[in-house]
Amino acid sequence: MTALNRRGFMKLASASGAVLAAGAADIRPALAGTIKLSQSGRSFSPTTGKERQAIPTACWQCVTRDSMIGYVEDGRVVKLDGHPESIRTRGVICAKGQAGINTVYFPDRILYPLRRVGARGEHKWKRISWDEALDEIAGRMKPLLDAGTPEKLMYHYGRNKASQSKVNGDFLGAFGTKTIGNHTSICEGGKWTAQELMWGGHYDNWDFDNTDFVLVFGSNTLNTHTNHIPVAQRLIDAHVGRGVPMYVFDVRLTDTAAHADEWIPINVGKDGLVALAMCNVIMSEGRYKRDLFKFMKVTADRNASVDEKIAAVKAGVAAFTPEMAEKDSMVPADKIRELARAFARAKSGVVVSYRGTIAHQDGADQERAMMLLAAITNNVNSPGGRCQGVGAGWKSPKSKAGQKTGGKVKALNINDGFPGQVAYPTHHVNHQVLKMIKDGRAGRPEVYIWSCYNPVYVNGEVEENKAIMKDESLMPFTVSINIVYDESSALADIILPDVTYLERWDWEDMVSPTQVAEYYFRQPLIKPLGESRDTGDIWVGLAQRLGIKLAWSSKEDFVRQSCNMTPGVKEAGGFEYMKKRGIWHDKNAKPDYMGFMSKIPASALKKDGVIFDQATGVYWNWKKAKAQSADEAMKVGYQNTPGAYKAYVGQEIDGEVYRGFKPDKVNKSGFLEFYSELLKAKGIPAFPTFTPIAEHTAMAPDELHLTTYKVAVHTHSRTSHCKWLSEIYHDNPGWMNPKTAAERGLVDGDRIRVRSKHGEITTHVKVTEGIIPGIIAISYHVGREFSGRYGSGKADPIPGTMADDPDFKNKWWDRHGVHPNVLIANAPDRMTGQQRWMDEVVRVEKA
Amino acid sequence: MKRIDKLRISRRQMLGATATAAAGAAAAAAPLSEARAATAAAPRWSMVMDMRRCIGCSACTVACKAENNVSLGRFRTVVQRKMTGTFPNVKKINLPIICNHCEGSAKDGADDGVPPCVSVCPEYPGERLTYVSPTTGKKIRYRGGATYRRPDGLILIDVAKCIGCGKCLDGCPYGVRSFDPFVQAGAKPEEQTADKCTFCVHLIDNGQDPACVTTCQGKARIFGDLNDPDSPVSKLVREHNLSSPGNVLLPEKGTAPQVYYIDPEGVLKTAYREREKGKLDHYMEYLDA
Repeated sequence: MTALNRRGFMKLASASGAVLAAGAADIRPALAGTIKLSQSGRSFSPTTGKERQAIPTACWQCVTRDSMIGYVEDGRVVKLDGHPESIRTRGVICAKGQAGINTVYFPDRILYPLRRVGARGEHKWKRISWDEALDEIAGRMKPLLDAGTPEKLMYHYGRNKASQSKVNGDFLGAFGTKTIGNHTSICEGGKWTAQELMWGGHYDNWDFDNTDFVLVFGSNTLNTHTNHIPVAQRLIDAHVGRGVPMYVFDVRLTDTAAHADEWIPINVGKDGLVALAMCNVIMSEGRYKRDLFKFMKVTADRNASVDEKIAAVKAGVAAFTPEMAEKDSMVPADKIRELARAFARAKSGVVVSYRGTIAHQDGADQERAMMLLAAITNNVNSPGGRCQGVGAGWKSPKSKAGQKTGGKVKALNINDGFPGQVAYPTHHVNHQVLKMIKDGRAGRPEVYIWSCYNPVYVNGEVEENKAIMKDESLMPFTVSINIVYDESSALADIILPDVTYLERWDWEDMVSPTQVAEYYFRQPLIKPLGESRDTGDIWVGLAQRLGIKLAWSSKEDFVRQSCNMTPGVKEAGGFEYMKKRGIWHDKNAKPDYMGFMSKIPASALKKDGVIFDQATGVYWNWKKAKAQSADEAMKVGYQNTPGAYKAYVGQEIDGEVYRGFKPDKVNKSGFLEFYSELLKAKGIPAFPTFTPIAEHTAMAPDELHLTTYKVAVHTHSRTSHCKWLSEIYHDNPGWMNPKTAAERGLVDGDRIRVRSKHGEITTHVKVTEGIIPGIIAISYHVGREFSGRYGSGKADPIPGTMADDPDFKNKWWDRHGVHPNVLIANAPDRMTGQQRWMDEVVRVEKA
Repeated sequence: MKRIDKLRISRRQMLGATATAAAGAAAAAAPLSEARAATAAAPRWSMVMDMRRCIGCSACTVACKAENNVSLGRFRTVVQRKMTGTFPNVKKINLPIICNHCEGSAKDGADDGVPPCVSVCPEYPGERLTYVSPTTGKKIRYRGGATYRRPDGLILIDVAKCIGCGKCLDGCPYGVRSFDPFVQAGAKPEEQTADKCTFCVHLIDNGQDPACVTTCQGKARIFGDLNDPDSPVSKLVREHNLSSPGNVLLPEKGTAPQVYYIDPEGVLKTAYREREKGKLDHYMEYLDA
């Protein structure tokens, strides 16, 4: 067999730009008459046959950030494909990734700095030079330094990760502000915080490669997961390739539910209740596995024996009988029993949960119920179980912090919600930021800069967001760094043209599905179009104007230094190696299964500053925790010393000290905590339970639940300008069960009005058997006021965009959808600050 | 879907589409003889669609758009979706479809190497061409045309010869052809050329899988040489008995499609939305979801 295998990637890079006659180079007569085609790694023009330049880089359409090969022909990006050497993606990218080219060349792209010339929000703009733009912004920032109030510079991002996040944080720290907002609470912040309260870290990977059973709650894992490409292909491989059973609980028949052995329709917000009922079955029938109980904390007594713990979990879930769960959830008690038994019987199994489960009041408790189900069946950090995510650990250059403020870095306290609103906002409460600015009691930013974020559109209560951002008395100076004119850029004073991710340097670190870290890299495929500029380079320009010295001279330099100082990557050849290969992982690395069982050597406990905390059984280092003295630290205790989790050493259990489940954001112990002293201290039940959702219990008979969801071909807010994606998905009818529709006299396609306390939208109804009665479901990608002509149907009202796309005359759709967030309150969960997307109730009538 | 109507096959009259298609003898897909395969002079390119593995993500659809610079308003491959049943016993089926690169003819149902799109092409049979087999090095003579069949089974379009008459658009029972608004018909430049899937001939001739296959995360699309008994497609055809008539689209048309479906639940026929006369709505990927 002649293997025409092109996986040897070095070859590609060297073949850059080479001209090969089609067919001449690669198809040779084979001795045995066979040809093996290669999955990817090279690209050829369909019209000329010419081989294209291949450049390793990484995607950024969504947070999955797959490593890729970009292909360039005559200076233009013409094709993107998965990087064939990636252990995460195995050479595959998704529809959004394939449409990445559209983000570079869409006709409404912003290419030059713009200054508004009319009133804010009047959509009148003029093109200005970079010098004018940066002089004005620096001129607004300088007085903040002079007044010793650097925290009045707020930077707010939606998607910043890896080097982008680091480079931004580094400049802002050098300036002296920690008023940095994110978007996590509108995504999965509640899930993360719940996990931080239990196992310390904040991302779970499901070991589909090794699992024997899959339970999915509130997640369209095959189509829209945050680590989509790596996990979806493995889930399908497990289910179809190895026959692994898969059951999906969801309000809708998603593609994931459609592939399952069974779709189990479930009422909105009841996932945790069903998980607790499954725990009930497993505990009461003695089907649990004892292995993990030693490392679990399930009562106030950290010294409880395994038998005592088993008894405590039994008692803790006793009230949640399958019959009780059936009443509220619509999942038949027999089905709960059947699946609980099957799950407990399986050698291994994963419990998947996502936004459908956690974007609720006390959604974190639902996540805790999921973890409990995994723990009592010994499926935590085990082969085939629910494992803590592993990503790359990069090093990067650091500039001196607070250079003009005597080393001080300060923050306005507007990122974590109103006082007393949220118990543990470890990923912030960004959807309250605008409300807090309006309120003003915690101060207001004088300068508000945002990038890769659309605060008006992506949060709830869209109209209020718009009104606040438009109000110059609340937000005196606003700067948007963006590639497209959107609902928020429209309310900026200055718009700076961002580069696209195909024109940018970065190192990358997204979680690996194999529990072995992948280090990967993004490099420009082409020179930035127009005058677009990387945010990192914008900071360089501002730093120069403000007399701030950065430890790096450009974004490229930041990435270069990082590559050359990160262990592993450095030895492989650093920056030059990454430019050529784009990807590195340690070939000898193995998944860290059951790492919590590792013992801490006695020497580590004898190190200077290490003390024992009697209350929790935690060994910790009071010096590292910056406590005043050992005595003071002992007196205040581990749990009550701010930041003590950073000084965690190990957990004492039955006289031995283990690595345990290391804390990462809160002062939890090293146990897998199901009894949480931290929650108890905030007046929240310490053990997982199910608390009825206030909005749901108060529903009137004619009200419906509103749920929102994602589709496979769009990100939440950053892809509607991509023509190939909007061609496939541009309209979002409300899904409704025939019974619910009939009750309202509605038939498929009818125009409907959907009203909540917060607003009203008009759309049409899709009457479908693939959804439970009593709800309406509306996706949240479209309904754009501004997003270029492919996304919103109209050209941007700004000068100096891209030239017209000849394909525009072929655009055939004139519907652009509606935006359900108009209907939804900006309401944080009391435990974590998670935006409660799925708790809203609405009335629907014929329009 | 009225909005889509304006782009269909539009500018032309639909001529005789049903007349040709109706003739379908009950001939099955071409039998896959191992003996024939072993003596084959050239590869026979084929695609297997594993319906168990298609997750409806549309990566293939968009990869094809990018790879072949396919204009808006038409597609070279799509995934059809269909929901069946009543709540809560509901199924959703994803069905990837593409040019079938048929071997047979609608006229007599025989494996004569002249599928309906080729037989209706006024420019076929045209000049005599030579194909050099990549597997055996043998030179194989064949006839060109604006639409023609290469000896490795690919049904291709020669833009230079195309007069943009649209007969092949009408003649294809699967409705997988459209006019390319970006490319003029070479032999009649006032018209646009016909266009369709080539199995990414420019890639397979360079040792690469087609773009839709490369990016398929579910491994629902498998491509290869049916004349190589060890190729993944040959193995799948044997393992799942795909040469039986129920595993291709519209077997009754007698076209001997070279795209086979792994369909253990027997839902292929239920899921497939056929073209409507004069329209290509069935070949638009548009999610009303």
